[in-house]
Amino acid sequence: MKKIRAISIIDDDPITVFGIKKMLSSIEVSDHIVTYPNGKEAIDGIRLSLENGSGVPEVIFLDINMPIMDGWQFLEEFITLPLKERIRINIVTSSIDPADKQNWERYKEKTHHLLDYKNKPIRRSDILEITRVA
Amino acid sequence: MLRGTQDSIDNNLIKQLPYATAFINSDMELVHASDRWISDFDLGNKKVIGQTLRQVFPDIRNSWKKDLKKVLQGGAKTSGIECIMNQDGEEHWFNWTNSPWYDQNSEIIGVIIQTEDITNEIFDSAKLEKLEILLNDKSEISRIGSWQFDAVKKELMWCDITREIHDVPADYKPNIETAISFYKEGYSRNTIAMAVDQAMVEGKPWNEKLQLVTAKGNEIWVIAAGKPIFKDDKFLGLIGTFQDITNDIISQRKNEEQERLFQSIFNSSYQFTGILDLDGTFLQINETALEFADLKEKEVVGKKFWDAYWWPVPDMIKDGLKTVVKAAAGGEIMRSEIVVQDKNQVKVPVDFSLKPIFDKKKKVTSLLAEGRMIKEMVVAREKLKVSEKKFRALFELSPIAINLSDYDTGEILEINSAFTEALGFDNNEIAALNYSSLVPNTKKLKLNQIKEILEKEGTFGPLEHELIRKDGSCFKASLSGSLVETKKGKRLLWTATQDLTEVKKKEKQINEERHLLRTLIDNLPLNVYIKDLDSRKVLVNKAEMDYCGIKQHADIIGKSDSHFYDDTSVKISREEDLQVMNTLTPILGKETINIKKDGQLTTFLTSKIPLIGEDGKAKGLIGISMDISDLKHKEKELQDLISVTSVQNKQLINFAHIVSHNLRSHSANFSMLLEFLVNETDEGEKENLVKMLTVASDNLLETLDNLNEVVAISTNVNLEKKPVNLVKKINAVEQNLSAFLKKNNAQIINEIPHDTKVSVVPAYLDSILMNFITNSVKYRDPQRDPLVKLTLDQCDDYTVLSITDNGLGIDLEKYGEKLYGMYKTFHDNPDARGIGLYITKNQVEAMNGKITVNSDPGKGSTFNIHFNEKN
Repeated sequence: MKKIRAISIIDDDPITVFGIKKMLSSIEVSDHIVTYPNGKEAIDGIRLSLENGSGVPEVIFLDINMPIMDGWQFLEEFITLPLKERIRINIVTSSIDPADKQNWERYKEKTHHLLDYKNKPIRRSDILEITRVA
Repeated sequence: MLRGTQDSIDNNLIKQLPYATAFINSDMELVHASDRWISDFDLGNKKVIGQTLRQVFPDIRNSWKKDLKKVLQGGAKTSGIECIMNQDGEEHWFNWTNSPWYDQNSEIIGVIIQTEDITNEIFDSAKLEKLEILLNDKSEISRIGSWQFDAVKKELMWCDITREIHDVPADYKPNIETAISFYKEGYSRNTIAMAVDQAMVEGKPWNEKLQLVTAKGNEIWVIAAGKPIFKDDKFLGLIGTFQDITNDIISQRKNEEQERLFQSIFNSSYQFTGILDLDGTFLQINETALEFADLKEKEVVGKKFWDAYWWPVPDMIKDGLKTVVKAAAGGEIMRSEIVVQDKNQVKVPVDFSLKPIFDKKKKVTSLLAEGRMIKEMVVAREKLKVSEKKFRALFELSPIAINLSDYDTGEILEINSAFTEALGFDNNEIAALNYSSLVPNTKKLKLNQIKEILEKEGTFGPLEHELIRKDGSCFKASLSGSLVETKKGKRLLWTATQDLTEVKKKEKQINEERHLLRTLIDNLPLNVYIKDLDSRKVLVNKAEMDYCGIKQHADIIGKSDSHFYDDTSVKISREEDLQVMNTLTPILGKETINIKKDGQLTTFLTSKIPLIGEDGKAKGLIGISMDISDLKHKEKELQDLISVTSVQNKQLINFAHIVSHNLRSHSANFSMLLEFLVNETDEGEKENLVKMLTVASDNLLETLDNLNEVVAISTNVNLEKKPVNLVKKINAVEQNLSAFLKKNNAQIINEIPHDTKVSVVPAYLDSILMNFITNSVKYRDPQRDPLVKLTLDQCDDYTVLSITDNGLGIDLEKYGEKLYGMYKTFHDNPDARGIGLYITKNQVEAMNGKITVNSDPGKGSTFNIHFNEKN
């Protein structure tokens, strides 16, 4: 299996970050996993790596409820980035608010990136599927 | 004397007598006549001998015969003068003498008539005086004056009358020249001058009607006559007469005028007029009659009345007409209506009359036939018949009782069926009825009053009056009447009687209904009013009166809205009124706000309905307004409640999501960690996982605590508020935070008046103050010392506490929506939990307050906490 160049996990909950990392490492899908505690730091980090050419993550795990900049605000900015390739973005949330699902549908329309929506917890069985490059 | 002469010889002798002599026997037969007699009487060509005197002179006067008889019976000689006209109509004057004719025995056997023609002598000068006397006798009566001119003496003599005619005095001496100069210059004078000349030269007499101008200057008409007198061809003079005929001429002219007048009246009369003699022959007929029948006068005059053209069936009426003529000739006036035909044979009704014309002696001399066309009259009579029929029908069918009574006696002559119905009397009973018996005794006086009015005005009423029915019951009636006078001078009274019992009943009913309606509209919980075209109130109900603050109904009538409401309300209302009245379309259930002059605001649900007059145009409107101010108020409260509820509902949903999210995220973590733990073989890693599970558990507990806190606030919405001194509370919070403030080098400036009280739940106020002051310091700008300022303001029903800091500020455009969200944090502050503002907001709202915020990132924020002082 081809290894993924880079995976980003954007979540303020350390336990979730721990869990996803653990699952990713167990399938050894990528050697380069970056985590961000909120959307703000994530978009800043991705912009930086885009500028210095170190490459953007091919798969992103994105939490919605985060301080400073939440998942939707992050997406709003992310989809404006000049990216040719199709990035897989897994929205991972414990929210069952229908408004969030509607937001997902809306963003799907607005971008060429692959947007997936998963409720927490992420199961080990799911992880292979959602780390496949878009 | 001649006696005993033999006929033949006698005759011969007598024939030759130089005097005109005739012998008549006792039978008045002419026996002998001298030739002279024959010639004097112009009988030469006639057989006279043996004829009676009557046969010879048919025109002989009876007196002459009497004279002769007197002689025959032994009378003496008689004589006299006689004038006889000859065959040429010439006058011949004779002196006559009748003498008895004796026989041998001296017995009278006849009369000897001797005559002398004195025609020439009679004008001789010898006879002038005699003539003068004659003329004088005559002149006194007929105003004939005489004159004579003696040619020998050259004297002109006027008699008294002649002088009078000339208006000259008795001693006036005229001559031929002056006499002629009295004639009016021109025709009259020329004529007389020529006549006199011709008389003298040719011996011609004259007789002319001429004009004189008298000495007094009067113009008169005279008949001037004169003739010359000759003796043996010698001109002796002139004699003549004057007759003043001025009056005759005037009267003649008058007669002519009257005749003309009569003729013009006769002919121009619209009626047919003819004059008949007593036998019914037309003497005259006027042009109207001729034109009517298209006849010429000669076709009628001289014909019999009954033979005239215009009788349509002459045979049938001839005898009748004859009788009529006969009766009229006997002095009766005949009159009847007949039909004649005009020139087109159209039959025309004529009122015909035939009247006798009497002379002075009351003797019928002729008959005047007159015919008046009465086509119009006949038509009018037909019309009258029709209208009489109509009147009858009206009279009988009229629902109003009508009766005709003799005004003076009170006797009832006629009634109609409505009368019978109203009073109970029928036609057979009225004969015995007198009008005054229909009136109760107590009301008789009124009857006299009616009589007075009738005498003066000819009519009366309608007025209310009491009458008695046949059954004796009384009832109120409306009476009116009219007095009419018949041709014979009888005064009749038409009376119309309307039973008012029903009317009164209806009136009462209407009054009751009116009262009912009035009560109804007065007790309606609606303002009802009627306005006229100028929007003035004509009728209002009690509710409207109360609303306008008016006690008496009369005080509001005629007043317009401007009397009660402010200008804007008046203007809007007037526009509505005009719209309704102009379009005739009602406004229904429109919500309007009316402001009274004192500023009181009322919300009405208003309907305005046009009042349409008989001409189809609006004559005003009916307005119905329902005061819905309370409803509006409740509606607003409800609206507020709904908005609060919906906000709370939203909060609850939000809260539910938060709860589910937070609990789910924890349980997800448990679930994930447990899955790891189960599959983990490495003991070290296992221990790590258990530690993480513990952290997750602590997190869950904390979350539950937070949620509990929020639920506590949300469920304790009815926590009792009480007034709290704000400054004291602030000081207490400051005290509690003193270490924290000191550590951060923070300063609090409190500008709130010491006695400020706010109505709050005390515990919430502690929490709110604590949270905001802490936040102001916690999110400080690292470049400067924190400064927190507290100020107070009043806004509507709220006391507003403003807390201003010089901290980091918040980008409200980015985070405004989430500012009070649970677990929302906006700064990289490790202490930020995202719960403080959420709880604070819930607490403020639980006290019916609200929070607003102004912020400038990098400069600071101001939170305005509105405490609701009302409820």
